[in-house]
Amino acid sequence: MTKDLLLRFLLGGAAVMASYLIIVVSPWEILGGIFAAFPAVMITAVLMAGVTSGTKNAAKIAGGSVYGMIGGVICAATVWLFLKLTHNWPLSMLLGLLFWLISSVMVSTLREKLNIKLFSRKMVLAEARFRHHK
Amino acid sequence: MGGLSVSALLIRFILGGLAVVASTIVARKLGEKAGGIFAAFPAVFLAALLTAGLDLKGEALVSQSIILSKGAMVGMGINILVAIVAVLLLKKHGWKKGLIEALGCWLAVSIVVVAITVN
Repeated sequence: MTKDLLLRFLLGGAAVMASYLIIVVSPWEILGGIFAAFPAVMITAVLMAGVTSGTKNAAKIAGGSVYGMIGGVICAATVWLFLKLTHNWPLSMLLGLLFWLISSVMVSTLREKLNIKLFSRKMVLAEARFRHHK
Repeated sequence: MGGLSVSALLIRFILGGLAVVASTIVARKLGEKAGGIFAAFPAVFLAALLTAGLDLKGEALVSQSIILSKGAMVGMGINILVAIVAVLLLKKHGWKKGLIEALGCWLAVSIVVVAITVN
């Protein structure tokens, strides 16, 4: 268990570090720009889920990361907005992190509620069709 | 491109490692979907901000962080698209092939976006 987590820590750290190395070492500026937003953590997490528990769970991790990525845009937008408004660097960073977590969880919960609503609507329609055939 | 900095490397290593470990622990306790949220922890963006915090002070730090935040918004927008495509590809072709294809998709979209924004 601890060994597995240590391996994940090393892999995740190495992936993020490698994307920084590419930015610094690359002779082409364009490559640096591309790798500045490389989704290293997501790729490592999906890879590890694939190795340890197969395609289904790897796809679920990738699906969950969509909400986290939406939160990521909100995090960057929050940092940008509060830096412009307050010029307070630590406060903007803290608010960015807080907004990332809140918005990711909110989007994920909203999506789940929408899924449940759609599912119950389908059930009602199916029941109505069944009664009609009867 | 700036020079190589040990503190920048260390910050990225620690943030990246912690994010993957957090994603695993949350996935085990609350399910893969919740774990996925932590898989998208903006480690690269926050590491870039923290590194800027070590090198710069005052207004220079604020303006550099504003530039970083603008770039991160575009980068994360691409990553949302790639994560959606990854789900489809993983389900269709399995995790190995699907992940490689998703990486190819990320590279292609990033090249196009960077080429458009640079010129």
